[in-house]
Amino acid sequence: MSHFETLDQFKDGEIGIIHKFTDDKMASKLLSMGVLPGKSLRLVRRVPFGGGLYIKVEECNIAVREAEAQHIVLEIF
Amino acid sequence: MSNLYAASRLHQIYMASKTFTFALVGNPNAGKSSIFNQLTGLRQKVGNFPGVTVDKKTGLMTLPNDGGDVRIVDLPGTYSLYPNSQDERVVLNILSNPNDESFPDAIIYIADLTNLERHLLLFSQLKDLNIPLVLGVGMMDIAAEQNVFLDKKILSEKLNVNVVGLNGRTGEGVAELKVELLKLIASKGTPQYKMFFQPNSIELKTAEEIRLRLPQADNIYRAILLAHHAPQLPFLTNFEKAQIRQVTESEKFESIRFQINETLQRFDKLQPILRLFFQKTTSNSANLTDKIDRIVTNSVAGPLIFFTILFIIFQSIFVFAEIPKEWIETIFTQTNVFLKAHLPQVWVTDLLTDGIIAGLSGVLVFIPQITILFFLITLLEEVGYMARTVYLFDRIMQKFGLNGRSIVALVSSGACAIPAIMSTRTISNWKERLITIMVSPLISCSARIPVYALLVGFVVPNEYWGIFNKQGLVFGALYLLGVVSALFAAFVFKLILKTNESTFLAIELPEYRLPHWKNVGLTVYEKIKSFVTEAGKVILIVSVVLWFLASFSPNSTAINQIQVDADRISVEKNWSETEKSDFISSKKLEVSYAGYFGKAIEPAIQPLGFDWKIGIALLSSFAAREVFVGTMATIYSIGSAGEDDSKSISERMKSELRPDGTPMYSTATALSLLIFYVFAMQCMSTLAVVKRETKSWKWPIIQFLFMGVMAYLGSLLVYNLFK
Repeated sequence: MSHFETLDQFKDGEIGIIHKFTDDKMASKLLSMGVLPGKSLRLVRRVPFGGGLYIKVEECNIAVREAEAQHIVLEIF
Repeated sequence: MSNLYAASRLHQIYMASKTFTFALVGNPNAGKSSIFNQLTGLRQKVGNFPGVTVDKKTGLMTLPNDGGDVRIVDLPGTYSLYPNSQDERVVLNILSNPNDESFPDAIIYIADLTNLERHLLLFSQLKDLNIPLVLGVGMMDIAAEQNVFLDKKILSEKLNVNVVGLNGRTGEGVAELKVELLKLIASKGTPQYKMFFQPNSIELKTAEEIRLRLPQADNIYRAILLAHHAPQLPFLTNFEKAQIRQVTESEKFESIRFQINETLQRFDKLQPILRLFFQKTTSNSANLTDKIDRIVTNSVAGPLIFFTILFIIFQSIFVFAEIPKEWIETIFTQTNVFLKAHLPQVWVTDLLTDGIIAGLSGVLVFIPQITILFFLITLLEEVGYMARTVYLFDRIMQKFGLNGRSIVALVSSGACAIPAIMSTRTISNWKERLITIMVSPLISCSARIPVYALLVGFVVPNEYWGIFNKQGLVFGALYLLGVVSALFAAFVFKLILKTNESTFLAIELPEYRLPHWKNVGLTVYEKIKSFVTEAGKVILIVSVVLWFLASFSPNSTAINQIQVDADRISVEKNWSETEKSDFISSKKLEVSYAGYFGKAIEPAIQPLGFDWKIGIALLSSFAAREVFVGTMATIYSIGSAGEDDSKSISERMKSELRPDGTPMYSTATALSLLIFYVFAMQCMSTLAVVKRETKSWKWPIIQFLFMGVMAYLGSLLVYNLFK
């Protein structure tokens, strides 16, 4: 059974398939960086106490803020 | 070959009218600057795009087959024509306006083979603008390690563009690229091209309506871009903006939704093309970057490594810059001694030595520090480390309205605010960059050390308190005060400043790679050059003005009287020649414009415990803070003791009395003066650089005023507490 979670709820090392973005401005920025629905995303690590998130989308490493991570919805299998 | 020859002939004819312009476009980290350096070598210059604070790099390149020179404009890296920051906006502003002076005749698009899908998004947008293009694909060596190989034929056929494989490091493929550029020039007037993107009916209708109203919207995709971005585009008149708004409203044009759909559609079309030759082998094994980042971005080890690196940078500046700095100072001092001995003693000689040469020296002594700092920072940028510090410190810096990158500037300020402010160019959000620039000079720089060293002795004796040296503790407290006040000021600016620019982190953490030394060298060279030519001018002018104020007197009878008095008193008191000339210098300074200035501001600075003599020193500190010590020496008639002899200056200051007989330099006065030097903006070089970096006098003036107010109130408070 698969379920949906936003990226900020992920634990280190967790992998999901990008399902959608809940903020359009954020979506447009992330899409242009190649973060697309259907791609697999892994949370590599995060800075504690609400700091940045280090993610890997395919071979590309990207850092996002927690506020941005709340708008990324992923499907977990 | 005959084709090529014809092309170059055509180009020569074209050259007669105007220089052909290529724009270099690509995503951030695509390796554009390496290619730019390969194409232009040292024939490049940095200017400004009109109206914005983004550097514009242009260069000249010679084409093969006597093709002559063409101009290359390096546009800022961006992911798409939907910009998020000021530098990305530059790309849109130019490419959506064929009348722009930087609008290219053709585009060299640089893509990275390891991330080709993402890099082709912007490419496909440019293609739809129907600007002639050549596609340069780089990072082939890194891609080969990941088992990814370029199939030029498929890519060229499917994307309808000529493709060149490039290596910015070795220059491989650059000759082939130049040949392609010649072909592009020859094929002026590209055939009507079928759009890559298929707009929906609303987008098509909107574009048609806009094209009816605006003749410059000669292309469907350009018209769609106008519909999306009209309110922010500087080249449109208010009337044109209103017309576009009318169209988008009546057609129910949904900007953000359409933008997302367009992006998704482009990727949908790119993916099958890439799949033809791109075997995605998503390996789970960690590569070198992953291994390094496991340590470098670890939440405990990461900050430790960062502060160690900063400590090394800081130490290098103090240790390695000191020797060349002394050489430069010695050369100028010796030149002045020589000139004074051999030139006639007239005011022109003084202007040359104490005004112009002293001013030049004030500019050039900063070069060793700037070179070292920029070399190390550019190196960290080149290898890909800087993006990691942004990730690590973004959260903390955000609280103060700053950006992760601000921390680098703040720590550099501990050496000198000038290179620190110049290093803020890496911050893309304008508000965050501005706040960093505004507060960096509050961090105590190396020029404050001589002042602190001279005054700290009046506050606490050179004694130990347990294992701590008391003077050392006061020193530490002054530095801490600088850091705390910088963060406080940043917080206040964060509340005041407004920006429409949305702040994003969403930053790429590029693969680590070995530095490209040519890039590092050219960047450092460029920054030093712009410092010397632009900030240097202002520093030189202000030095000459300060020299004038300190050398000339509005009162000529007073000047003559000084000579008479000096002759009389020196006989009475049996003075040596040195004592006599020190006396004359001191009295001359007192009746100079600077002296009058000091006396004029005395009522204003009296509440801080300062007299007119300190007033003169405050004015002259403007050339550089450490000049305070030298001015003190001149005022107290021990000018010949030299600036280094701060011991005799401090002895002399200790014996100075107020009119009521109490010591002038009491604990309260000295502490008040120290606080003043922590806060006050007394460095014209920094102000000149702030003007240069913010492209207006507004910000240096605001900076001067707010730091001045902090200094005045701080000193007032401290003086009254300790009096």
